[in-house]
Amino acid sequence: MAIDDLEKKLRPPADPLKPYPAKMITLANGKTMVVREASREEVGVLLGTIYPLLGCPKDFYDIVAARMYSEILAWYRYRVANEFVLVGAVDGVIAGIVNSRQVDPSLGMSLHTLAVDRGLRVGAQLFAAKMEHHIDVLGEDEVLVVAESPIGFKRWMIEYELEDRSAGYPAVRHELGGVPTYALTRTLWEKHRRNKCTGVRPVPPEILATADKLRMPAEYCQLPGFRRE
Amino acid sequence: MIDFSVYETKQLEIYAYRCPECRAEYYPAPMLCAKCHCRRDPSGIVHKDWDPFPLEGACTLLTWTRVWALPEGYDRPCEMFGIVEFPNGLRAAGRLEAASPVMGMALVARVEESTERPGPPAKVFVFSEA
Amino acid sequence: MAPRVGIVGIGHIKFGNLSEYDLVDIMAYTATDALRDAGILADRRMVDQLFVANMGGGVINHQTGIASALVSRLGLEPTPAELVENGPASGGSAIKLGYMAVASGMADVVMVVGGETMRKVTGWKATDFVATLGHPEAEYGMGLTLPAFGAMFARLYMERYGVTERDLALVAVKDHANAARNKYAHVQEPCTIEAIHESPDAHVVNNYVAEPLRLYSVCPVSDGAATVILVNMDSPKAAAFRHPPIRIAGLGSATDTHCVHNRKDPLHLDAVRLSAEKALAMAKLTPQDISFAELHDAFVVLELAIAEEVGFYPRGKAVEAVRRNENAIDGKLPLNTSGGLKAKGHPVGATGVSQVVELVRQLRGKAEPGRQVKNPRYGMAVNFGGFGNNVVAIICAKE
Repeated sequence: MAIDDLEKKLRPPADPLKPYPAKMITLANGKTMVVREASREEVGVLLGTIYPLLGCPKDFYDIVAARMYSEILAWYRYRVANEFVLVGAVDGVIAGIVNSRQVDPSLGMSLHTLAVDRGLRVGAQLFAAKMEHHIDVLGEDEVLVVAESPIGFKRWMIEYELEDRSAGYPAVRHELGGVPTYALTRTLWEKHRRNKCTGVRPVPPEILATADKLRMPAEYCQLPGFRRE
Repeated sequence: MIDFSVYETKQLEIYAYRCPECRAEYYPAPMLCAKCHCRRDPSGIVHKDWDPFPLEGACTLLTWTRVWALPEGYDRPCEMFGIVEFPNGLRAAGRLEAASPVMGMALVARVEESTERPGPPAKVFVFSEA
Repeated sequence: MAPRVGIVGIGHIKFGNLSEYDLVDIMAYTATDALRDAGILADRRMVDQLFVANMGGGVINHQTGIASALVSRLGLEPTPAELVENGPASGGSAIKLGYMAVASGMADVVMVVGGETMRKVTGWKATDFVATLGHPEAEYGMGLTLPAFGAMFARLYMERYGVTERDLALVAVKDHANAARNKYAHVQEPCTIEAIHESPDAHVVNNYVAEPLRLYSVCPVSDGAATVILVNMDSPKAAAFRHPPIRIAGLGSATDTHCVHNRKDPLHLDAVRLSAEKALAMAKLTPQDISFAELHDAFVVLELAIAEEVGFYPRGKAVEAVRRNENAIDGKLPLNTSGGLKAKGHPVGATGVSQVVELVRQLRGKAEPGRQVKNPRYGMAVNFGGFGNNVVAIICAKE
């Protein structure tokens, strides 16, 4: 489809990013979660998965869902530069989503982590996969990270010992409103990778195929009584 | 008489107590001696106070852990803790600093001030390699 | 001769994250279920006495006078009501006091409600709150928490008896399998030994919480409530209830040193042994008479250690039963048929009452399919306060 000149002016520059190589993780319940990069063609199922959580204030799901919804929409509509989305799927059903973007070849900007399944460390696994993509695959030197929930602060800032960069404000600030900004450096990643990041590659074709067609969850533990028709 | 020594800056110490009657030693101090039933009087007014003595120095590691799920106040991913036994048979729990902890290893106990927990700074044992 | 005391009503809410609910409401919810189960909802003023078990209302909920609040929430005034706090054994202690109230003749019908909402605060604040049961200077002030005590105990236990991380994982797998079938359990998700111990992802999926204990070696932080209604079985009032009573055949409690480091042998849980001995003696039973048990496995290693102190196995031998899968529902001695604290959850003040609710469900033969012990006669609950410094053991019998 032809893109008119005005639309071209609205779009950000796009640098080709290396693809994230899919991996699989055995969750505690014995099920296999495939972690792979989501494509633009899958935005509908991603947004549909996120949408019900807009109404869940518990554990800050509402703000994370609302922001991730808008970020993925912005990616779809070419209103954000160099964003990538990773998805975790169990038998094709989305268990969690993370998104992020590359600011420049040396700097990543971590956006959001949304665990749909809870109690299986899906959020922690997907955050680690996101950092793996930034530093190991894209080769960035560091990633700026913020937390919007106490759980996030404990999981990222404390457990990864992220460097506090808030003293550098406003010159150094995360894109999510300039809230206290922390950084995962390559050195910190090297220190924590073994205890935080796992997964087996390559994923056998038959297992990868289970995640070919992503599906929205029918139920959410965060939303008792909700059932997708 | 006012005890002005409470305003002095003192060396950090954690005290064990000795029963003045039968010399049995305790950490932390009970109210009654388990052996002779002598009562401790923290004020030292009604009854003779027990003899405090600093608990420190050489000790042996009985058991230990590295805790990754620390409570609020600890802004680091993990911290080691251990239980030790002193040569006088008294035991104590505290923080552990050792590259490769092994049960039975020789350690040295010192006291530091900790501000992690709510309230005023607490005196904590730190057990490090001898 | 003291009257016989039986349980005629039970109520239980699904444990989990109930942080949007009020503490007294969830207690009242289970109390209402128990009154309905007993068949006296409309005649609830038959209750002569209410005991409420809770550990953290004053700290977490910033609420005191919880027993008075609950009486009013249930419209039970002027029934006498008291709060019982004995750390994580508050529930067991409240049942003990309920038993004593009936046995003394001061009451014929007693309702015991346990409840806790720990998820009102963050997990690490909840960990801090529970740690306040330690000695203020010699334990809490040092930074020690219950997971730290559990881990240091586990390290000694594993070293002395040759227990491995795989053995502990097997206990978790069994607990989760039971909880997956328990409608009241917090974590109704099974786990597999491959996933939490053997797979290349296991060290991340089942990460260390306090070495050598991993995520699947420790209980979750849970909200919840449970209720039991006790009756004087020898009173004419006993005929008013819908269910035949499940008799409290034995009850014992004991204490141990406040500071864990002051125990002669740090692996001996004297308060467990003594409370179990008392309960068994009162019931005129031996450990071998017990059909199944709920043991306070806040850390899975405690399931083994408590089973040994109670007398189910010689010291250091419980692990052999684990390896033979003898503690599963269809095994020789089913343990933690509810999923235990490990998987059913551990809302501290509710736990002791919840354990006894499970005994009653099993003894009535009303546990869910796949989770029902075959023809149980005697069930035992061990509720462990502090790190073993204040313990209550209760034996229930099917008449």
